[in-house]
Amino acid sequence: MAKGQTIKVEIKRQATPDAPSYTEKFEMPYRPGLNITSVLVEIAANPVNTEGKETSAITYDSNCLEEICGSCAMLINGKARMACSALVDRLLDETKSDTITLAPLSKFPVVRDLAVDRSVLFENLKKVQAWVPIDGTYDLGPGPKQAPQIQEERYPLSNCISCTICMEVCPQFNTQTNFVGAATIAQAKLFNMDPSGSVLKEERLRALSGDGGIQECGFAQNCVQACPKQLPLTEAISDMGRDVFIQKVKDFVSR
Amino acid sequence: MATVAPAPPSNAGHSEKLRGVQPLRAGEGHTFFLRRLHSLTGIIPIGAFLIEHIVSNFEVVNGPLAYAQQVKFLNGLPLARVLEWVFIFIPLAYHALYGVYIAIKGRANVNVYPWAGNWMYLSQRVTGVLALAYIIQHLWFQRFTGVSLPENPGVAYWKVQHELSTAFMLWVYIIGMVVTCWHFAYGIWLFAAKWGITPGDRARKKFGWVCGIGGVALCTMGLWSIIAIYSAPRVPYMYNAMPSQPNNTVAPTIPGQYPVTNYDQNNTPQQEPLQ
Repeated sequence: MAKGQTIKVEIKRQATPDAPSYTEKFEMPYRPGLNITSVLVEIAANPVNTEGKETSAITYDSNCLEEICGSCAMLINGKARMACSALVDRLLDETKSDTITLAPLSKFPVVRDLAVDRSVLFENLKKVQAWVPIDGTYDLGPGPKQAPQIQEERYPLSNCISCTICMEVCPQFNTQTNFVGAATIAQAKLFNMDPSGSVLKEERLRALSGDGGIQECGFAQNCVQACPKQLPLTEAISDMGRDVFIQKVKDFVSR
Repeated sequence: MATVAPAPPSNAGHSEKLRGVQPLRAGEGHTFFLRRLHSLTGIIPIGAFLIEHIVSNFEVVNGPLAYAQQVKFLNGLPLARVLEWVFIFIPLAYHALYGVYIAIKGRANVNVYPWAGNWMYLSQRVTGVLALAYIIQHLWFQRFTGVSLPENPGVAYWKVQHELSTAFMLWVYIIGMVVTCWHFAYGIWLFAAKWGITPGDRARKKFGWVCGIGGVALCTMGLWSIIAIYSAPRVPYMYNAMPSQPNNTVAPTIPGQYPVTNYDQNNTPQQEPLQ
């Protein structure tokens, strides 16, 4: 695509959580190097649809614009991706068309337009206590040392940006199973491997064995394919699957 | 005068039920046990039985008598009917029913994400349902209706050959064999992945080869048996390969051709002439 041509953007919109959805079309001049967030910025600067009618700017979540905050996940040409790192040139190349479709993530309640409520992930992280419990009334002093081997295994898991793409693409993450999703399982592993965080290891494993827990994984491996930060999600699920099972056996024979 | 500390931020938004997918029910319920039991029963005992079944059926290659002897041997195992129900029918029914329940709760999305693992996810559900349909008709026609093989093992060859006498049933059996072996082979791979036996990518890849080759070998053996009995000369109607062979009795296979040893009152062996 060359300068001077126009690109078409079809956006699934919805005014309120309960309002009906509809598709609005926009056109804008092509420029090289656009990404989806800059497309949305341009529409906001001149919110006029293809029928020439003035409309409202598109609502969407975004913050860092460099794939590190995890807030701008949406369906771009039907697939879950980060809007900031979805490059228009590549999208046009992939589909060989001049149209890009945008829609909110399909498995989370829509707040408005492309903004969805992803608090289920936050709730899940709280359920598995995905933190290091060092809050207290006095200084606990320096933490235990962490071997570089442990650091190396933990670092990729710490790259999670809570974008929920792993959950969106998962065939098991739905209102029938209420599966917890790969991100939470990976974070439980991250904190179980932390020398201080491991004090909550057993509680995390028991939490993950609850309904909607790790057992609902069907190992379609979409999570690890779609993860924008290349987290080793299937490895984390496999490792945690073993740990949860061992914990359940221990609990069965000793509690 | 000290002021009252401000109230902590309200969590009210999260105490009420969220829309959409619900959060983890940490530590609640029994689905972990049920799901792991489903996974385990697929291998032990059902998978083990599948291997036994395919290996046993391979005896058809050696003709009606060899097949009849194999059927008689299995039905002559101690507590054969108990073994059949405890290690085959009940685990199979659980695996099948819970498997269908799992399958209908999933939302396959290969149309959007056409990745290999995602296709295998769908294939595991499709082959499971197809295998179940096949097994239901197979049990109905071969185990629970028609001439009863536990009592008449000699008729086994005829019963199977008769079942496979139409091209339609031949294809039912071929498809049944392929989907069952597929489901079993990928099921072992999934078992290793989910139970944390093969967490690493390379381990899973290597084990994928093991399961693939094992599955193909098993399937080849099964198909070989099907083709062998289908293409063998037709045996007569209700042909009994072992006449006068009551079940649960270890009698010589071809009666009357072996010397029978009797003992007199001094417990001395008396050699009788061949009958």
